[in-house]
Amino acid sequence: MFVLPAVGFFAAFNVFPMLFGLYLSFTDYDLLNPPLWVGFDNFVNLFADRLFLTALHNTLMFVLGATLPVWALSLLAALLFDQAFRGRDIIKATFFLPVLPPVVVVAVIWRVLLHPNGVMTWLIGGRWGLTEIRWLADAVLAPLSMIAVHDWAAIPFFMVIWLAGLAGIPAELREAAALDGAGPVRSFWYIELPHLRATAVLVAALSSINAFQTFALQYVIPTDPGGPANSTLVLGLLVLKYGFQYFRMGDAAAVSMVMFVMILIVTMIQLRFNRRD
Amino acid sequence: MTERPIRILVAVAAAAIFAFPIWFMVSSAFKAEPEVHAIPMHFLPHDFQGFAQFRLAAEIAPLWRYFLNSWIYAASHVGITVFFGALAGFGFAKYRFPGRTLLFLAVLSTIMVPFQVLVVPLFVEVKWFGWENSYAGLIIPGMMNAFGVFMMRQYASDLPDELIEAARVDGAGEFHIFLRIALPLLLPALASLAIIVFIWSWGNFLWPLVIVQDKDLNVLSVGMTSYSQPYQREPMWGAAMAASTVATLPIAALFVFFQRYFVKGLTAAAVKG
Repeated sequence: MFVLPAVGFFAAFNVFPMLFGLYLSFTDYDLLNPPLWVGFDNFVNLFADRLFLTALHNTLMFVLGATLPVWALSLLAALLFDQAFRGRDIIKATFFLPVLPPVVVVAVIWRVLLHPNGVMTWLIGGRWGLTEIRWLADAVLAPLSMIAVHDWAAIPFFMVIWLAGLAGIPAELREAAALDGAGPVRSFWYIELPHLRATAVLVAALSSINAFQTFALQYVIPTDPGGPANSTLVLGLLVLKYGFQYFRMGDAAAVSMVMFVMILIVTMIQLRFNRRD
Repeated sequence: MTERPIRILVAVAAAAIFAFPIWFMVSSAFKAEPEVHAIPMHFLPHDFQGFAQFRLAAEIAPLWRYFLNSWIYAASHVGITVFFGALAGFGFAKYRFPGRTLLFLAVLSTIMVPFQVLVVPLFVEVKWFGWENSYAGLIIPGMMNAFGVFMMRQYASDLPDELIEAARVDGAGEFHIFLRIALPLLLPALASLAIIVFIWSWGNFLWPLVIVQDKDLNVLSVGMTSYSQPYQREPMWGAAMAASTVATLPIAALFVFFQRYFVKGLTAAAVKG
C-alpha cells in the first residue's frame, strides 16, 4: 500500500510523541528516574509560577505586536505592488528580500545592527543627536526590538499571501469599478475587500500562530536568551529552559500543551470565520 | 493615471528600507572589521577585503562543515518528503481502501501540531533509540512532512482517472503507474514542494539545537550562534556577516532561479490550514 510508509512514519514521529507529550505533562520526569504521575499538579503549579506568567504575558504582547501591524502593513504593501508600474517586479523582489535569510541569520544581522552605538542608533537616534540607544539592554525596548525584527521579515512574507488573494479577484470586476468612476479607495472598499475576507482571516490566523511559536529571535539576539530581566522570555523559550536546562520534562511538556491550546483556539476562531462565508 | 510617480516613489522607498539590513549583511562581509563598525556607515566597502572575512569565519568555527551538514540535512528531507509524499498523496487520491478518510485526517491533523509540543517527547523517544547526538537523530524525526502528503494528494486528485485505467489495461503494475505516469505529471507541484521543504529544513533551528551536542554534527543554523557574540571584547562582526551571507545564499539562489515555484510553494504552504 502506497500510504503505508508515510502513515507509519507519522505514527512513530508525530502521533506517538504528541500523546507521549500529553502523558509527560501529567508527570514529573528528569530523564534519569522513571516518570512519576502527578495528575494536574504541573498545570496548577504553572499558574503560580512567576516565570511562566511572565513568559505568557510576553508571548501575548509579542503576538499582538506581530499580528496587527503585520496585517495592516502587509496589506498596504500588497496593494502597492498589485498595480503594474515601471520596474515593479525588481522593486517587489527587493522588498521581498527579508524573507530569504533563515531566522537565525535574521537574528545575527539584527544583533549587530542593534548594537547600542550601532547602525540603527545612527539611523534613528542620529536625528535627535543620540549616539547610544540600549535597544537590547532595556526591559521596555528589548521586547519592542524583537517585535520590530519579526515584523520586518513577516511583512514581505504576508504581502505574498495578500497578492495571491488579490490575484483571485476577477479583473473584469475591478475594471468595471474603474469605468464607473470608482476611485482607488472606493474600489478597494466595495470590490477588493469583500473578496479578500478569506485571505484576511488567513493572514490574521497564520501570523498569530507563527507568533505564538516564536523563540529563535529571543534566543539569539539578547545577550542572555530571554533577557534582559526575562523581558523577552516567551513560552517557546520556557519549554527549552525547563526541558533542556533544568531537565524538568513534565513542566516543559505542560508549558508546550498550554501553547498548543492557545494555537488551537486561534485555529478554531479561524474555522468559525471561514464557515460563516 | 497621475498617481503613478508617487506609487513608484513609495515602492522604491519601502523596498530600500526593507532591503537595507540585507545590504548591510552582504556589504559588511567584504569590509575589514573597523569598517563594519564605521559610523556613519559605509554603504560600499572603501577597502574591499575579498573573501578574507569568509576565511576568518571558517577559522572561528567549522563553517564549511556546518554548511555541508545543512546540505545533508535539508537534501535528505527534500528527497524523502517529495518521494514518499507523492507516493502517499497518490495513494490517498486514487485508491479506495477502508479507513482512507480517517487515516488522511490523522495525517492532516499532524500539520496543526506546533513542533514545540513535540520537541520534549521526541527528544525522549530519540534518546530511547540511542540516536541522540548522531546524524540519525538529527535527520530522521523530521524527514517527512505531512504537508507534502496533503499537497500531493490535492494535485494527484486532478490527474485523470482514464489515464491510470488505460495503463492498467495495458498491464502496467501499480508502482509502475505511479513512477512512470503519475510522477512525471506531478513534476511542477513536486518542484514547489521541494523548494518549500528545503527552506524549512535549511532554516530549522529548534530540533538541531536540542539533539546535537557535537560541534561536527551541527547544521549552519545552530552553528551561526558561534558568531552571534558581537559585543565581546574581540568583535567579529565581519565574520558574522560573512557566515550569514553563506547561510542565506542557497535560499537566495532558489529565489533567483525558481521564483515562480518559490512563491507558489510559499503560498501553498500558507493556505494549507
